[in-house]
Amino acid sequence: MAAGATLITFDKVWKSYGQGEAKVHALAGVDLAIRRGEFVAIMGPSGSGKSTAMNIIGCLDTPTAGTYSFMGIDAGRLDRNRRAMLRNLYVGFVFQGYNLLARTTAAENVELPLIYRGVAARERRDLAMQALAEVGLVGREHHTPAELSGGQQQRVAIARAIVTRPTLLVADEPTGNLDTARTHEIMELLTRLNTELGLTIAMVTHEADVADYAERTIRFLDGHVASDSRKLEIAQP
Amino acid sequence: MIWETVRLSLRSIRRNVLRSFLTLLGIVIGVAAVIAMLTIGSGTTAKVKADISKLGSNLLVVRSGRPAGPGGPGGLDQVVRPLAEKDLAALVAHLSGARAISPASQKQVRVIFGTESLTSGVTGTDSAYLDARDWKLVSGRPFSDSETRSGTGVCLIGETVRQQFFGAGDPESEIIRVNRTSCKIIGLLEPKGYTGFGQDQDNVVLMPLHAYQRRIAGNRDIDNIYIAADDRTPTSELQPRVEDILRDARRITPDRESDFAIRDMTQIADAMASATTTMTGMLGAVAGVSLLVGGIGIMNIMLVSVTERTREIGIRLAIGAHEKHILIQFLVEATVLSLLGGIIGILIGLALAGLAAVTLTIPFAPSPAVILLAVGFSALIGMVFGFFPALRGARLDPIDALRHE
Repeated sequence: MAAGATLITFDKVWKSYGQGEAKVHALAGVDLAIRRGEFVAIMGPSGSGKSTAMNIIGCLDTPTAGTYSFMGIDAGRLDRNRRAMLRNLYVGFVFQGYNLLARTTAAENVELPLIYRGVAARERRDLAMQALAEVGLVGREHHTPAELSGGQQQRVAIARAIVTRPTLLVADEPTGNLDTARTHEIMELLTRLNTELGLTIAMVTHEADVADYAERTIRFLDGHVASDSRKLEIAQP
Repeated sequence: MIWETVRLSLRSIRRNVLRSFLTLLGIVIGVAAVIAMLTIGSGTTAKVKADISKLGSNLLVVRSGRPAGPGGPGGLDQVVRPLAEKDLAALVAHLSGARAISPASQKQVRVIFGTESLTSGVTGTDSAYLDARDWKLVSGRPFSDSETRSGTGVCLIGETVRQQFFGAGDPESEIIRVNRTSCKIIGLLEPKGYTGFGQDQDNVVLMPLHAYQRRIAGNRDIDNIYIAADDRTPTSELQPRVEDILRDARRITPDRESDFAIRDMTQIADAMASATTTMTGMLGAVAGVSLLVGGIGIMNIMLVSVTERTREIGIRLAIGAHEKHILIQFLVEATVLSLLGGIIGILIGLALAGLAAVTLTIPFAPSPAVILLAVGFSALIGMVFGFFPALRGARLDPIDALRHE
């Protein structure tokens, strides 16, 4: 598939919780499309449905009604294990709280997705080192998360997400726990991965300056897409 | 993948050394108890068998009174007719397949030498007794036939008697007093040690039957007749022959029951051995219950572990682990944990059994089959009790698991 082709499609996606009177619609018939290579920021107040949308995009969750297609696959109708396979092959995750395994070295954390892919130990080690180098963590391979700063931990998490060469990176408030300088560094890194590797990025954030790094911003409100705007291309000097 | 998982589980066990150890404890104690019980048990069985064969191998013992059974031996309805010398003579004359036939009457009697005294088992018998009981002399000589016939005041003493009266000295030709009669020591019996019931087999004085009857018992009775079968004749074959000869000698008509009993020591040995085996099995089963408790401990800690590591499970699921990967991970962890407990338990159990073997002077008899079984069983416990927690972990929803604090 060429860059620019559609990667993700929401077709009247509903996600509902509860029964009868207590029924809540986290997503109420959302239509949405994301192309390959896009860097999309997803914003909205809590309860707006943005997290639910992210979970569906990352193939962690399935819609109650409507169709979610990922790479042309009807991912919303796949069973747990098939979605796990899809995540392992095509999706990388970065979380607000880093979510690294404690007392496990950076290299071992990065190797983790490759274990479930059945990659041999030596190759795993090489790929992990390469990924760590890409996020600028050479020399920290054998540090455990407790021995790394927040920014460094998030870099390890990003290395773990990209070590499988995924098509899509799902980032849930990736800078939520970081200070301004560290936020800037992480966003620079994500932007670079987007432009250099052509990695599609879907990122949830509630900070406008973080969302500014993305070329497109989708705002959710009450289970609907409230706005979908593209950054105006600024002419290069 | 499996090796990867085993490594992972070893690491997580190492991370929580104290908790892992406490979890193991149940399995360790259970396995150690089972191993110790079974090992000590088989040692005891061997010891009991050896003890009874010390009484003499392939031995029949005849005594007066009805055979043991309902009403017990020598019931009140019947005056017990003791065994007599004509019974012995009939056996000697007619019994084939016997290596040795010997009478024995015994009593606990006070034995005195100088200022020392000792209550000893004094037995009146003949020279065939040593052969019948597989007993040898360390020094001296057995009674001669003429001494047996005439009832001369000579005796053979056991090791305990020697130590009591002579210490390191030579007892030969010394005169000891047995009851009110004096008796010259002509030989020293080989030590036999204690029986399994704590009876000192070396606290004995043997003297010619006639001397015993005249000077100690004051009658002409024979308490027991010992009959040792020769190598070609099993005791089970010998027993009916003995019965026939004695019924004939004692003129018992076919319509009446025998007024004597024949005990087969081989049978008794087998019965004793099977009793100890049953006992061992029972104790082993009781110890096995503690294994069950250990298994529940494993389940408990694995549930805690799954809850504690919910987030980790969430991460693993998010980055592409299948249900089976999580299931296997926790199952392997539980199995490794309980297997480790099993191995430690086996070592402790064997050490305990070794200690018991030394203190109880029984043979140390570890059984490879039992050890293998313990290894297999402890692994099985891990799998069985680890399955439910592992399944719970594997069924977690990745979104909920990632949100878990």
